[in-house]
Amino acid sequence: MDSENHSITLPEIYRFLAQSMHYPDPEWMNADFIQFLNAFLQELHWTDEADTLNTALKSSDNFLEDIQIEHTRLFINAVPHVAAPPYASVYFKGDGTLYGNIAEKTKQFYREKGFYLSKEDDLPDHIVYELEFLALLENTDKTGAQEFLEDLFRPWFTLFYSKVTKEARHPYYRVMMKLIDFFTREEL
Amino acid sequence: MSLKVTRRKFLQTASLAAASVPLAKVVSAENGFVRKPFTPPGSSAGTTTVTGGICEMCFWRCQLVGKVRDKKLVKLEGNPKSIDNGTAICARGNAGIKLLYDPDRLKYPMKNVGERGNPKWKRISWEEALDECAAKLKAVEEKYGPHGIAMFPHGASAKYPMHFFERAVGTHNVSEASFFQCRGIRDTAYVSTFNTAPGEHVDMANAKAILLIGCHFGENVHVSHLKRYLKGLENGAKLVVVDPRYSASAAKSDIWVQIKPGTDTAFLLAIMNYLIENNKYDKKFVAAHCDGFEEFQKGISHASLDWAAQICDIPASQIKEVAELLAANAPNVSIHPGRHVSWHGNDFQRLRAHACLTALLGAIGVKGGFVKPKGPKVKGISWAKGHHDGAHNLKEMADKYHFAPPGTPTELIRDACITGKPYPIKGCVIWGQNPMQTIPKPQKTVEALKQMDFVMCVDVMPTDITMYADILLPEASYLERYDYIKKGTQWNFADKHEQFISARMPLVEAMFERKDEVWITNELAKRMGHADKIPVNSLEEKVEKELASAGLSIAQLKKEDGIHIQPGKDPYGVSEDFEVLLYNEDIEDSGYPGVPTYIPVEEVPKGFARLVYGRSPVHTFNRSQNNVWLYNAMPVNPVWLNDESANKMGLKDGDEVSMVNSEGVKSTFTSVVKVTPGIRKDTVYMAHGYGSKNPMLTVGKGAGIDDQALITKIAIDPETGCSGMRNNFVKLVKSGKALDIPA
Repeated sequence: MDSENHSITLPEIYRFLAQSMHYPDPEWMNADFIQFLNAFLQELHWTDEADTLNTALKSSDNFLEDIQIEHTRLFINAVPHVAAPPYASVYFKGDGTLYGNIAEKTKQFYREKGFYLSKEDDLPDHIVYELEFLALLENTDKTGAQEFLEDLFRPWFTLFYSKVTKEARHPYYRVMMKLIDFFTREEL
Repeated sequence: MSLKVTRRKFLQTASLAAASVPLAKVVSAENGFVRKPFTPPGSSAGTTTVTGGICEMCFWRCQLVGKVRDKKLVKLEGNPKSIDNGTAICARGNAGIKLLYDPDRLKYPMKNVGERGNPKWKRISWEEALDECAAKLKAVEEKYGPHGIAMFPHGASAKYPMHFFERAVGTHNVSEASFFQCRGIRDTAYVSTFNTAPGEHVDMANAKAILLIGCHFGENVHVSHLKRYLKGLENGAKLVVVDPRYSASAAKSDIWVQIKPGTDTAFLLAIMNYLIENNKYDKKFVAAHCDGFEEFQKGISHASLDWAAQICDIPASQIKEVAELLAANAPNVSIHPGRHVSWHGNDFQRLRAHACLTALLGAIGVKGGFVKPKGPKVKGISWAKGHHDGAHNLKEMADKYHFAPPGTPTELIRDACITGKPYPIKGCVIWGQNPMQTIPKPQKTVEALKQMDFVMCVDVMPTDITMYADILLPEASYLERYDYIKKGTQWNFADKHEQFISARMPLVEAMFERKDEVWITNELAKRMGHADKIPVNSLEEKVEKELASAGLSIAQLKKEDGIHIQPGKDPYGVSEDFEVLLYNEDIEDSGYPGVPTYIPVEEVPKGFARLVYGRSPVHTFNRSQNNVWLYNAMPVNPVWLNDESANKMGLKDGDEVSMVNSEGVKSTFTSVVKVTPGIRKDTVYMAHGYGSKNPMLTVGKGAGIDDQALITKIAIDPETGCSGMRNNFVKLVKSGKALDIPA
C-alpha cells in the first residue's frame, strides 16, 4: 500500500480511461481498479456516480460478470443487436460499417505523429487506441493532441457517448462515458 | 452529478491519496502502439492487388482479386485471369466488403448465460469455449452414443467439421440444406437416370433452344452460368420459360408457359408422350443408350396434350408448340436440370422427367445439350472414413427415402429430437447454416433445439439460429481464410479448351478472434479424444496438400495470379456405355413409380393463393440481409399479386401488407404489394430470405416478409426425404384485416 498522495496528469488519466474500455478481465477489473475509480470520482466530487457504482457493486453476485455481459452487449454482439460499436467509422463520415475513411485518416494521423499500431491489421479507430494515443501524444505534442481531439475524436465520440448512455443498463459504462467526455471536451 | 471541479482545476490539484492504489497498479504498462519515425509513403501509398480470392456471397464462387490499401480491403473485382467469371462479379460479390466490415459480425467466442432463443451473451476465451463445447458434446456422445449428436452444416467451411462428426465421431445425423432443402432431389433423380449428378451442366451458350422450368435467370445470378445463358440467347437460341410468374427469364422468352404450380411433371410427360407418338424423338440415341423404353412409353401413354392442358391450366396448343420447338432444334437443346428444386414433395419424379426428356431429344454430349465439362482433378483432403455400421441410421431404420441424397433427411432428425424415438438426439452443431430460414416449419426446429443438452453454432454473422446457441463461435469469412479449391473449364465450350485450378486465399487477415474451420475442428477433436485422426494441422496445409495432388502449390498459384490454367479437353461426345434408365426397376422395387409419374399436389383453398418464392439478384437469401449495400439495393421483398385480384381486393401497388397462411400462422413483418398482370391469380410470389428475426442484425432485422415462417405445411418428397416448400397457401393482411384472394 502506497499512502503517499498521487498527483495525476492528463496522460495518466487518458491511460486510465483507455484501460477502462478494454474487455473486463479479472487481471485489471479487480478491487484495486474499483478502489481507484472510486477515489477518482470522489476527488472529482462526483458522489452520485460513485454511489451508483457502489450500489451496483454491493447488490451484485458477480460484478465482473455483470460488466462482461454489458461490454459484450454494448460493444461486441448481443440482443438487441450490438448497441454501440466503439469505432469512429460507425458514427462519423461513413455508412455505419467498420474501417471507413475516418479509420484510415486516424491511422495516418497516428503515423504522422510517429506512432504505429503494434497489430498492423487491427482497426485503428477503436476507442481504446484513440485514448492510448492521446495519452502518448499529450506528453510530447499537446497541440497535436488538441488537434486530434477536435478533428478526429470528439466528432464521433459525442455520438457514441449518447448511444452508450441511452443503451447502457449498467452504471459502469455510463460513468466511464461521462469521465471520457469530461476529460476530452473543450474546457468551457 | 456535481461539477464543482473543472478539469483544469482537477488536474492542478488532484490528489488521489484516498485511493491508496497507485495508478500504475491499475493500468497496464503496455499500449497498442510502437514508436517509429514517420516515413511519408510517397509513391508506395497506392492500392495493391491481392489475388486468390474466391467469392462466397453465394455458392457459385467466382474468382476475385482484392484491392488492398494499407491492410484495408477497399474493392473486390473479378480476377482478370479467370476463364470462368472473368472480370465480372455480381452486386453481391461487390458487397462482400460490407460483410467483411459489418459491425454486427461475430468477433469473439460467446457463451449464452441467458436462455436458448432469448440469449444473454458473454464474451469468453477460445480456451473456455472449446473446453465447454468438447466436454458437452463428449458427454452427449458417452450418454447417448455418437448418433446423439446432430449436425446442420452449410457452405465451404462446413465440410471439414461435417466429416469430423460423420467420420471420426460417427453420427449419421448430418443434414445439409443444400441437399435436403435445395438441389439434392435433382442430383439423385439424375443419378437414377443417367448415373451422374447433373450440376447445371447444360451447354446453353451453344444451344438452339433452351427450356427453363422455374429457373429465373437474371433474378437468380451466377455469373458464368448467366454468361452461358446470355451467349445462347445472343446466338439466337429459342427460349421456353415455364413459370407461373413473368420472371426476368420469361421476359426474354419466345414462349412463356404460365403453368399452374405443382403440375410441371404433367407438362413434361405430355411433351414426351407427344414426341414418342409423333416419332419426333431421337430413335438412334434411344436405341443406343436408353433402357426400359417400352415400359416408359406405356407408362406415359395416358399423358395426352389435353390431359396435361387441363391439369396445368394452359392451352394444349402451347404444350404442342413447345414440343415441336424442342424437336425441331434437337439435339442441340438445353433442358435445364434446375438448381433449387425442392418445391412440392413430388419433385423426384419431375426431375426424372427432366432427365428423360433430355435423353428422348438425344441432347446429351452434343452442342447445346447436357454436357459435363472435363475439368482437372484435385484430390480433396479430409477426415478418413471410419468403420461405422448403419445401426443408427435413421433412414435405414425407417426404411424410407431410398433415393435420398447423402446425409439424413432433416425431418427424420427433427422427429427423433422431438419424440426421442427411435433414439434421443441431445447435442447439436450448427455450422454456417440457418435452419430457421432453410427448413420449413421453424417452430419444429425450435422444439428440437429446446430439448437439446447442448447447442453449438459457428458462423460469420448472427442469424436467427444463433439465438439458440449455448456457445457461439466466430468464423473467419471467405475473404480472410484459405479454403475452397475452385476448378473447372472455360465457361464457353466453343472457346479454346482450357482447365483452371484456383484456391481460396485470404485477401486480408482475420480480425478480432475469428478462426477458420480446421483450427476450430481440430481443437474440438483434440479435446474429444480424436487427436490421432486429425488429417491436417491447418487450413493452409490442407490447401497445400490438395494443390500438391495436381502438381501445384500455394506459392505457384500466387505466382500465377491466383489461377493456374492448363490445356483442356473436348467435353463433347457420349461414351458407348452411357446408359439412360427411362424406366428404373430399382425405383419401382423400392415402392415408387419406375416411370416418371405426375403426382397431384393439394389444390389452393378458396380465398387463398399458393405462396411461391424465388431469388433476388442482390441477395443470397438471409445470408446477405444485413449487408448495408445490398439492403439499400432491395430492402424488402415485394409481394407479386395479380392485377385483377388486387383490383377486386382494393389493393394498389406499394400498399403495405403482411400475410397469414391457411394454418393461421402470421408473418412477423410486412412488405409491399407489387401489382402485376405477370402472375397467375392462384399464386403470390416473393423473394425468399427476408424478415430475419435476430435483433443482433442492425440493418436486416425485420426487413420484409419472412416467407419461411409461413411454410408450415411439410411436404416430404417420398423418394428422397427432401422438403417441398411450395404447398402453403396465404392471404394478404392489410390494416389488420385478412383479405380473400379471388380465384
